[in-house]
Amino acid sequence: MRKVDGEIILFWALPFFALMWIVIFFLFPGFSPPMSPTMSAEQVAAFYRDPENLPRIRYSMIMFNWFAVGIVTFLTLIVMQMKRMAHRTPILAYCYLGCSTGGPVLFFLADLFWLMAAFRPERDPQLTQLFNDLAWVTFTGQVGFMVAQCVFLALAIFLDRQAKPIFQRWVAHFNLIIAAAVAPAAFVATALTGPLAWDGLLSFWVRNSAIALWLVVMAIVIGKTLYKQRAEEVAAA
Amino acid sequence: MSAVASELAAPPASLVGRIGWHWKHNPKIELWIMWWAMVCFYQLFGVVFALMTRVMPPPAPWWDQARIVQWFNDNHYGLLWGFGIIFLVAGITASMNALIAYSMTRMSVSRAFSYIYVAIYSLATLPGMLLTAIFLTVGALRPDRDPAVISWLYDASFTAFVGTMGVFLIGTSVWMLAVLLDKNRVFPLWFAYLNICNLLTEIVVAPMWIFKEGPFAWNGIIAFWVDTLVFVVYTIAFITLLRRLIVREDFGDGPLPELEQRT
Repeated sequence: MRKVDGEIILFWALPFFALMWIVIFFLFPGFSPPMSPTMSAEQVAAFYRDPENLPRIRYSMIMFNWFAVGIVTFLTLIVMQMKRMAHRTPILAYCYLGCSTGGPVLFFLADLFWLMAAFRPERDPQLTQLFNDLAWVTFTGQVGFMVAQCVFLALAIFLDRQAKPIFQRWVAHFNLIIAAAVAPAAFVATALTGPLAWDGLLSFWVRNSAIALWLVVMAIVIGKTLYKQRAEEVAAA
Repeated sequence: MSAVASELAAPPASLVGRIGWHWKHNPKIELWIMWWAMVCFYQLFGVVFALMTRVMPPPAPWWDQARIVQWFNDNHYGLLWGFGIIFLVAGITASMNALIAYSMTRMSVSRAFSYIYVAIYSLATLPGMLLTAIFLTVGALRPDRDPAVISWLYDASFTAFVGTMGVFLIGTSVWMLAVLLDKNRVFPLWFAYLNICNLLTEIVVAPMWIFKEGPFAWNGIIAFWVDTLVFVVYTIAFITLLRRLIVREDFGDGPLPELEQRT
């Protein structure tokens, strides 16, 4: 068994995680349609108290608690490819590794806030709204690590100056476009309505579509690279 | 791009030309990018935390709810847009942590030191900065929120901001130990002792979890002003020393060459 075989097994965990994330996305009633930031405290409390919603909020967020951190396995496969690049120092891989824990922990925090809001929905509506606000601002606004890791990967690809680079240059350009697409969501709290609000065009639809697109494209890129690496190792043996 | 070093012309005079030249030819470009990212981040951090959001110096822990609500109203847009900037650029912290971790990779010590630093500091961003930013953003989001809830967010923000100690205590200690053990002379010995000053501030700040006024409160002369002064001196010192490290870097694994004296 070659070392890369273990990475290929980790890689095939991704479709399973992705399936779980899709299920979570459609199971959580707060996403379809996304909850409006203009809802009053009483409306938010009523949303959590609704017997149609409450079990779906809890089950989807328990699943999110289980599987959100699964993304770390995929991000680490990208780190492994960065370490194969023709760099003089491991510094870009260190940057990416730092981001790959920094980002998911924020998703995890948002998940905890949603679960806390649903724990005692009979509580004072002001408190339910507080946890709902904390969850949405954390989930939507915390794009800093995503932006940074796209930029770090792009830099790493540009600086991978060898005859046969690990990734093609379009992967770098693609990552920069994704970084630009998720960036406006950082300003989610500046508006309760319009494209920047957490149910708005930029902060919800563009941002989440960009993340989904990034996952699909990068999964294909990493999968192809891993099988190529395996073929090279077999040929060299 | 494939030009041999001896054929290379000196970098052009214009700023853009110089940046382009370094991007193509400077073998230390990946280190310089991280150094500049760190410098830009600290500038931006200062502008947002001191000028836009008015979080530094911190407002008083003894204010009543009405005064706290007024503070949020006075700084409404500064808080929301300022922390939007912080949310956007938070990932840059990874580049400075990576550069500091790299300084330990260049030392004669185990890789464990670099890995500990990356691990501790990738977790530090949340309690040390982002949690404060999230709480204050949510506090500013709805001015009509129950004042008791706003007051809780206010306390939570400033206690987390000033009172996050352990990650920096352990992180600084690990860096200090690496400097003391290093035989490659990556940093001068006095920097190890400056690390002790910085980690002591994390001890001295602890009473802010108990006192609501006086020198040890979160805006007090010791818990905030002395500690921030030490932190600023420490930060300027390591930014300067990391720059010297990059200039001296020879990509070897023996002692780092000293700077040539300019005559």
